[in-house]
Amino acid sequence: MGLKSIWTKIYQTLASVRTGIFLIIVVGIFSAVGTVILQRPTSEPEDMAHAYSVETLMWLDRLGLTDIFHAWWFLVLLCLFCTCLIFVSVDRWPNAWKVYAHPVRFATAPFRASLPQTVKLAVKDGAGALSLTESVLSGFGFKPERVTENGDTGIFAERQRFSVFAVYLVHLSLLCIFTGYIVDGIVGYRGNIRVPEGQASGQITLRDNRGGESKKTLPFLIRCDGAGEETYADGSPKKWWSKLALIEGGKEVATKTIVVNDPFVYNGIRIYQSSMGQSSTPKTLTFEAIPANGGSPETVEVPLSGKAVLADGESLSILRWVPDYYVQDNEVYQKSEDPENPAVQLGLTSAGGETRKLWILYSQGNSTKGQQAPYQFALKHATWSKFTGLEVSHQPGQFGIWTGVVLMAFGLVIAFYTQHMRLWAAILDDGKGGKLLWVGGTTNKNRDRFQAKFEQIKTALQKSSGAATNPKTEENTLTKA
Amino acid sequence: MSDARVEQQQPASGAALLVLVGLGIAFALLVALLAAAKAHTGPIYGEANMLYAALVLYTGAATLYMGYGVTGIERYVSAASLLTALGFAANTAAVAHRWSVAGRPPFSNMYEMLLSFVWTLALLTLIAERAYKVKIIGSITMPITVVSVILMQLLPSDVRPLVPALQSTWLQVHVTLAMLSYAACAVSFALAMMFLIQDNMKTEAFQAITATGMICVYAGMLFTRFRSGSLAVTAYDLEGKTEVMISRGHPLFIQIPDLGWLYLLILLSAAVPLVLYIAGQVKKDSSLFDIASKGMFVTILLQVAGLAIFVARVKNGLYSSPEADGQFATSLPANPFLLAGIVGGIVAGLLYLLLLWRREGLQKMMPPADVLDRVTYKIICIAFPLLTLMIAAGAYWANQAWGSYWSWDPKETWAAITWLVYAGYLHMRITRGWKGRRAAWFAILGFAVVIFTFFGVTYLLPGLHAYAAG
Repeated sequence: MGLKSIWTKIYQTLASVRTGIFLIIVVGIFSAVGTVILQRPTSEPEDMAHAYSVETLMWLDRLGLTDIFHAWWFLVLLCLFCTCLIFVSVDRWPNAWKVYAHPVRFATAPFRASLPQTVKLAVKDGAGALSLTESVLSGFGFKPERVTENGDTGIFAERQRFSVFAVYLVHLSLLCIFTGYIVDGIVGYRGNIRVPEGQASGQITLRDNRGGESKKTLPFLIRCDGAGEETYADGSPKKWWSKLALIEGGKEVATKTIVVNDPFVYNGIRIYQSSMGQSSTPKTLTFEAIPANGGSPETVEVPLSGKAVLADGESLSILRWVPDYYVQDNEVYQKSEDPENPAVQLGLTSAGGETRKLWILYSQGNSTKGQQAPYQFALKHATWSKFTGLEVSHQPGQFGIWTGVVLMAFGLVIAFYTQHMRLWAAILDDGKGGKLLWVGGTTNKNRDRFQAKFEQIKTALQKSSGAATNPKTEENTLTKA
Repeated sequence: MSDARVEQQQPASGAALLVLVGLGIAFALLVALLAAAKAHTGPIYGEANMLYAALVLYTGAATLYMGYGVTGIERYVSAASLLTALGFAANTAAVAHRWSVAGRPPFSNMYEMLLSFVWTLALLTLIAERAYKVKIIGSITMPITVVSVILMQLLPSDVRPLVPALQSTWLQVHVTLAMLSYAACAVSFALAMMFLIQDNMKTEAFQAITATGMICVYAGMLFTRFRSGSLAVTAYDLEGKTEVMISRGHPLFIQIPDLGWLYLLILLSAAVPLVLYIAGQVKKDSSLFDIASKGMFVTILLQVAGLAIFVARVKNGLYSSPEADGQFATSLPANPFLLAGIVGGIVAGLLYLLLLWRREGLQKMMPPADVLDRVTYKIICIAFPLLTLMIAAGAYWANQAWGSYWSWDPKETWAAITWLVYAGYLHMRITRGWKGRRAAWFAILGFAVVIFTFFGVTYLLPGLHAYAAG
């Protein structure tokens, strides 16, 4: 009992279809469990807490049942399944290769006895009967060849020999798919990013399986040059689009307008349209300016980064924008990102180039009243820029997935709709001095279809050699053939 | 020939059923025409009317197919397949009308998918009947179409514009393949059932299986909807014609008092025959099977009563909920899962009764067991590649829409489980020579998983999640 026998044992266990089926059942059961118990990355923690008691949740977490599909033991199961696929295929490969590369061409007596389909017909002329058989088999789409062994001549004919490889092709395609999936699990990533209109960003947020978040910097910046939404008459969304430009090393390297279902692919990184919304950063702010000397009020719209000129030539710009402010120790701080209660610091520059800084605190009077300036400002209105919500993913393994899918499609078509049919013919003695044409055949699947085909061939042979009772016509047929 | 002998025995009842079904159909269609003319709900060839016509014709066909199953009169089959063909034509018109109104193939919600599924199933029934000469198959597939069309009447059927994620050719490819493969799975299921009958499966074994199916259905309903004696149903705003939502994705559940106890009683009554069957097997006492058979009648009657009371209480009355103040109404359309479960249980019971009443003659009418076995395998050889391509097209679409070809969401996972089950079937059959009975059970298991993937994942799993603690 050495290492070798243990290895043999493992190999034999994993190379059996029974083990494969067992693994399929186990994977199936755990997958089903994973759809019944709420799973971590997709379900919100609040939903989990709502659905299970603290203790239950603790046990589910401990048993790894709240994130089955990313658990190490599930991956081990899949890898075992892959190993089983490989071993099963390796174990059976020599046999298939033998059938493919070194087929039994000549039907010896024991081999003839082992065939499921056979027929014997009385013939007069052995060589003529073989030629006749050749022409009949050619008519049925076979390519007959003459084979000679120990001085005896026979015929070997086959169809769709490649069909013996179908199962290996399907197994290989599954391995391609698993490999692709594992590669993506190791080196792939997926995250989201919000890019406000007119701005650029290159940092995506990744969500890990524990629900935590981390940041990742892309090798380029994504600039959003425009984004929009079209809706149906009933208000439901019809189309989301974003005009994107990618900036690498300070240069614009690619542009595309993406919509849902039509991602932007650049260097293996795919950018998807996933949502659309209003950013908390305004595009422009509109103020009412009341001259301190009692003139008529004026309305002025100021871009967030830019300036507007008032009637008397003074220019107004926005120095700071705080969407939700609070004041502590006479300083303005940001409370949240929601533009609930904004504070704006204005810069009022006179024609002489002198700038005054003025604060508007929305919930404290919404006015610059009391601050020394030729105008008194109040915030009236804001226009908001849109942001586009993008999903960024890098899945280098998907090449394996789609290769696997194509291979599997071919494999299944070959497996189910082609079959390897083999036929042999020989001239035997009937023991009474006469000759017999013997034809036998077998197939690797779909026996009833082969049986029907064999019956047709038999009928065709009988028809041609139906002449056995009428030697003259037979001779005519045979000389023609 | 045995068929001829049976026909000679009961010529009168044969004509009687034909006439009755014919009159029933004529009456139903007349009522529908009058209703359509009165309500001006659209053109006479419109989708709703055509679907109604299809329902009536399919019901007639199902009755005749089942009548053939009971009496063995050949004439029924030709009438039944004529009705199926007419129903299929009406179904096609309904699909075409919806397609032209919506400007896209009808694949985007449960209603539209059922519309396509029923269409494919009727087509495959006609094909199986002609190409494989399996005449009786309609007695299993047509009731499935009838239940589906009834279910469709309850689902929201308005043509909704497609949200951006659904605007994809790949989605259409995906759903077409899904409908084709699921319909093929349904046909393989029907063939496997027939194999089991042909294979001399004992009536009591079939009874035990029917009882198990009923127990699963009621256990599923009670597990998700039983609230200390009441049955939770989805609240429905009758004026706004929408479900009442607490928050996004969380519908409000209201409780119909005492209905939960009734359904628990039905569950127990379905468990009795199963327990008796097991006891009979263990003690080898066949007298227990007779008691079990009576128990089946009781549970079927109780289920019919359960359906009637469910419909009556859903239609009339306002119910409260611990999750919100006030009283709310509900409706059948808001609870398709419960209704489908109850009706499914009753249909299974009817199929059982059909078998009970007609055993010997039924076998003579059907193709030989080995033919059924082989055709089941061939149909699965069609279903499996379609299933594979369906999953692949879905993955490709998901990759286009969300940047992830596989995210283990319940629908995806269950599609993969379906694939694994059929892969298991093929391996056992090809490499281990599983034929006949075991293969038939495998095919039935496969279809059960298909049904769960199609309905269960949509209606059962979310219910399980959202209110497991409530």
